[in-house]
Parts: sequence; structure tokens; C-alpha cells
Amino acid sequence: MRRVLQRPEALALLDAAFSDQPVVLTLGGTIREMLAVAGRKPNHLYSLDAMGQTLAIGLGLALGLDGDRRHEKVVVVEGDGSLLMGFSGLATVGHLQPTKLVLVVLDNGVYLATGGQPTAAAGIDFAATARACGWAEARDVPSDFESLRESLGWARGAQGPILLRVKVGTEQPKTDYFLEDPVLLSRQFQDWLLRAEGTGASAV
Amino acid sequence: MSASSVERSQAVIEGLESIDPRHVLYLPSSTLKQVLAHFLPGGAGAGPERRVYPIPREEEGISILSGLALAGQRAVMIFQDNGVGNLLTSLLTFPRPYHLPIFGIVARRGGLGEYNSMIHTISERTEALLDAAGVRYFQLDSRTPVAEWAPTITKGHTFAHTTHQPVLVLVNLMGG
Ligand SMILES: Cc1ncc(C[n+]2csc(CCOP(=O)(O)OP(=O)(O)O)c2C)c(N)n1
Ligand SMILES: [Mg+2]
Repeated sequence: MRRVLQRPEALALLDAAFSDQPVVLTLGGTIREMLAVAGRKPNHLYSLDAMGQTLAIGLGLALGLDGDRRHEKVVVVEGDGSLLMGFSGLATVGHLQPTKLVLVVLDNGVYLATGGQPTAAAGIDFAATARACGWAEARDVPSDFESLRESLGWARGAQGPILLRVKVGTEQPKTDYFLEDPVLLSRQFQDWLLRAEGTGASAV
Repeated sequence: MSASSVERSQAVIEGLESIDPRHVLYLPSSTLKQVLAHFLPGGAGAGPERRVYPIPREEEGISILSGLALAGQRAVMIFQDNGVGNLLTSLLTFPRPYHLPIFGIVARRGGLGEYNSMIHTISERTEALLDAAGVRYFQLDSRTPVAEWAPTITKGHTFAHTTHQPVLVLVNLMGG
């Protein structure tokens, strides 16, 4: 059987590709694994248990940062189950056209955090759905290191909204619980967001 | 529409204009027609500096407002109270614990003057639902002189910021 990318590998690539851009992370293992591979990052927003909301939070951020030259992109890292819960967000993104938005769906096909029960994702073409909703670009990315690295690099330079769907495996490295006070997570991210120098043309 | 609904709607518009939101999210109700018309294309409150857009579900609106708040934007969501049940989970799992000062105007239904035979079954439980959820709200209805409405909306918005939490202002535009 062909080896697929495991999620921690995908997250390490994501962190590297967008190390200076706001990244909104979906709940559960995604947050814990990102912490394991990248450590605590000021540009990462950890949405601890807010299932189904990651895309819409990122949409609000991308709209709010439209025209803000400190930030080129707003990256949303979403799971298949959580995306399906907030599925209406695909339509709203198509309607509002947030050009900075990059949605990366790490699709393991299951609700991994709750024991690996299957989601409905297997039969659903997320990229086609996004395109039908009017997204600028939507692609299925082959589940290997080089393809994902290349796609993330491309997404960084392309005009959004962009959806990338990557299939990932279900290996779960042992991670600690992440029990930080949400107020702190919110404050630290906002402090970084509104002060960051960014890499845009010129920070005003 | 009775004269008093027109006056109340105008007061809500004035209150919202005092906040000068850059983003106006809406999920309409017939009682909100006048308020929304002000912000929609052709209305006096429409303009290039302001984005006015529909949201398909109230909880999605809560999440978008949260992202906007993180980015430091002034925004408001205008919707009807039968959507309060939809948004409680997202309100209590993101903007509330993350202390984001999001703000909503909620049109009341049910009560005296209601003409719909069903809507009261959820709408009349609005305060009870919000109380159980610990969500802060202020009420505007026939008990409050209409001259106080706009200042209450202004202060409600300020209250969200000073107390770092979501705040809703419940407005009865039907006469109750
Ligand atoms: C409203 C709500 N219902 C249920 C849950 C329980 N829950 C926590 S994580 C999770 C699975 C999310 O699935 P997915 O987005 O695919 O991420 P994965 O677990 O695969 O990493 C569920 C159902 C929740 N957090 N919120
Ligand atoms: Mg999953």
C-alpha cells in the first residue's frame, strides 16, 4: 500500500510555509500535533473545542485583514469532520471572495479525536464544491511531502480564496493535553496580529 | 407597519450608525425590513466603506464576527430571536471563552401583537435560553421610551468592549 502523509508531517510543512502568517488551527489532534512539531507560535490561533467554526473564523479574519499590508494570507487548517459541520461557510466564502484566505483540509476520513468513527468525507469532492461556490482555486493535493510543499508554496503566492485538500493518515503520535486558558490564546494571537511586521510590500 | 415600529426601527438604525460598523452581517426577518433596507444597496447606510452581507446560519455569523473582532474590526450581526438556539454552541465555545467583544441586534418575536401561530414556541424562550447560557443582553421594548433606544445600543456595544464579552441587544419592533 502506498504510504500517505501523516498529519504531523503535513503540519510541519504548513508551519514552515506560513511561519509569518496568521494560521487558524482546528480542534483536537491538529492543535496538539502542531504544538508537538512547531511548538507554541504567536501566529497560531488555537481554537480549542470550537468544532465547525474554523473556516468561518478564518473568513472573518481574512475579511478583517483585507487591505492590511502586514498580512498576505490567512491560513485555516481544518479537519474533514469539522469542515462538514461548518459546510455553509464554503458558500459564504464564495460569496464574499476573501482573497487572502487559504483553507487546507487535512482529511483523515474520520472523527479521529473521538475514536476514529468515519465521517461523510470519503464520497464528497470538497474541491469541486468550493469551485461550484465560486472559490478562486481549489485542488486535491497528492498525499506526499513534495506535492504538499509545492502546493503550499503556490498557495502562498496565488490569489484566494483557495482550498487545498490533502488526505492524511490516522497515526496519532502521543501528545499531551493542551489546557491553556483561551483568554491567553486569544490575547497573544491578537497582540501578534496587530503588531506583526509581516513580510508584505511595506509595513505601514 | 405601525408608526411605532417605524420609530423603533429608526432608533435602531441611529444606534447602529453611532457604532459605525464596517461589517454588517444579517439574517433577515420581516420585522427587520426597515433596519436592513438602511444598510442594503440604495439605503442611506450603504457605502463603499461598509460591507453588508448575508450569513446562512447564525452560528456561522458568530464565527465570522469572532474573526473580525480578532482583526480589530467594528462589526454587528442583525438577526431574529428564533436563531438564538442555533448560535449558542458557537457563542459559548469561541467568542465567550476567548473574550471577544462581538455584538448583535436581535429582533424579538412572540408576545402581544404576534401574528404567527408557531414562532412564539422558541422566541418567547429567548431570555431564558440566554440566561441559562450566561450570555449578556439588554432589552428594548415598550418599557423603554424610544428616545432611549439609540443610546442603549451605543452603550451596549461599548459594554461588550469594556467587559470583553459578546453582547446582544434584544429589540421588539412589533409593539410589545
Ligand atoms: C459541537 C461538537 N460536537 C462534537 C464534538 C466532539 N468532537 C471533538 S473533535 C471531533 C472530531 C472532529 O473531526 P475532524 O474535524 O475530522 O478532526 P479529527 O478528529 O479527524 O482530527 C468531535 C466530533 C465537538 N467538539 N463539538
Ligand atoms: Mg477527521
